[in-house]
Amino acid sequence: MGMQDTAIVGFAETKIVEQSDRDVWELGAEILEDLLNRTGFEKQEIDGLILSSSMTGAGNCFWSQTTADHLALEVDFCQTVDIGGCSPTGALARAAIAIDAGLCTTVLCLFADTQKAESNQRPRSFQQEWQVPQGLLGPPTSFGFISSRYDHQFGLDLRALGKLAVAQRDSAVLNDLACEKLRKPITVDDYINSRLIADPVRLLDSVMVCDGASGLLITSKKNAARKGLTKIVTPIGYGERTTYRASESMVDVTDTGHRVAGAKAFKQAGLAPKDIASIHPYDDFIIAIMLQFEMLGFCKQGEGAAFIREHEFNHLGDLPLNTGGGQISAGQCGLAGGGTNLVEAVRQLFGEGDKRQVKNTKNALVTGIGGIPYARNWNSSVVMILTPNG
Amino acid sequence: MNTINDTLNIVRDPPKWRSFSKPFWDATREKKLIIQYDKEVGKYQFFPRPTSIYTGKKSNLEWHEVKGHGEVYSFTIARRARPPFQGHEPFFIAVVKLPENVNVMGNMVNCSLEQMKIGLKVKPYWAPLSNGTHLLMFEPE
Repeated sequence: MGMQDTAIVGFAETKIVEQSDRDVWELGAEILEDLLNRTGFEKQEIDGLILSSSMTGAGNCFWSQTTADHLALEVDFCQTVDIGGCSPTGALARAAIAIDAGLCTTVLCLFADTQKAESNQRPRSFQQEWQVPQGLLGPPTSFGFISSRYDHQFGLDLRALGKLAVAQRDSAVLNDLACEKLRKPITVDDYINSRLIADPVRLLDSVMVCDGASGLLITSKKNAARKGLTKIVTPIGYGERTTYRASESMVDVTDTGHRVAGAKAFKQAGLAPKDIASIHPYDDFIIAIMLQFEMLGFCKQGEGAAFIREHEFNHLGDLPLNTGGGQISAGQCGLAGGGTNLVEAVRQLFGEGDKRQVKNTKNALVTGIGGIPYARNWNSSVVMILTPNG
Repeated sequence: MNTINDTLNIVRDPPKWRSFSKPFWDATREKKLIIQYDKEVGKYQFFPRPTSIYTGKKSNLEWHEVKGHGEVYSFTIARRARPPFQGHEPFFIAVVKLPENVNVMGNMVNCSLEQMKIGLKVKPYWAPLSNGTHLLMFEPE
């Protein structure tokens, strides 16, 4: 499998802020410089650029080209991945296959968005016609439906969900790059008593949109070795599914595309859920984490709460989870937010977790969730398994 | 305000339809609910799409009128909203399962907080829009 011949040689991330006073391209420039400094690569060696989706970039149909232009990157492969919160991990997968196919040798994957400061989104989708007239707020409302239905089918255990919220918040306190507003410890009772947004979704279930950027530098293992870079991280399994069960009119909203994307990633990696050393699931709402435990096979469908009760999720626990705080407690960098948990996984495997370093760095699992469809769960699901030093 | 708002006093812009959804909106002028049906597989779909979700053949699609009686599949209480809904919270948004095996979203009128539950039997409630079409909402049967 060609993806396994590639190496992440560096990661970078900016401070996540409530609203950026710096342009999205300046954040991109900061990521580029950090990656060059850390890896010793010259700018001219980067011959591929893959961007995540970006609400700031959304108004620009030449987003990847103009970003390459502003950063003065002369590249042989240039694209934006537009599967929402899945796009950072999707970008990494595409970088690996582009390198393996010989289209380019070294790719900057850049995840930058300043949605709070400058959102240029103008959705052309079903929402304007079928949801806006009924007053839907967007994702919180959709997760209200998902949560109500989950409660009906399996029962909703608020204390279990609160345990996840607390674990992530404790990690954000240890993460200097997390949004300052969110770096205050919370309790399970704080979670349960936080105000309702779209029943039963609460404030502390939800992400706060922020501004920030992150990125990875990817090259072939051979090239990394030639450059003397011994500290690398390699993707060993990947699964991606968009519009899961598209050909069915009625679907179980608690059954998601992670079921198939996860099975594919585990098979490719030759691993099972019990082998996973740390997990970095996409977290736009707390319940999404529980649904992913179920769909990825950490437990059976409907038994997520029991699984949560049985495990500890901080960096010293038996299953460290979103050890940088996740998006919910570090802040969601718009559509680049999927980069936060991805970069945290890479950071941990590089052994640079500092105060929150996990002990077991054998591997890490990262996921993405992207887009909210009509009366379903989400449009895209991705799962990637990473290992250090191939 | 702890009572639930039926949203009927909210002035909403009529949505823009697409070439393939126009028949739906035209039918709402007479408070008729029509949904797409794939005649090859004998199955319905909602919301209106440019092709059959089952076969990928748009020529398989027909519009069939249905009663619109169904039951609540899931719901949420919107406690925060954007204009013109802002300030009119809380209100219900329900996902209603029709017997034709499709889910349809809509606000709920004439329904109390105590009454609302998954499985509640509902029927259509057509709210007038300024262009003569109607918005499909639901009320308890």
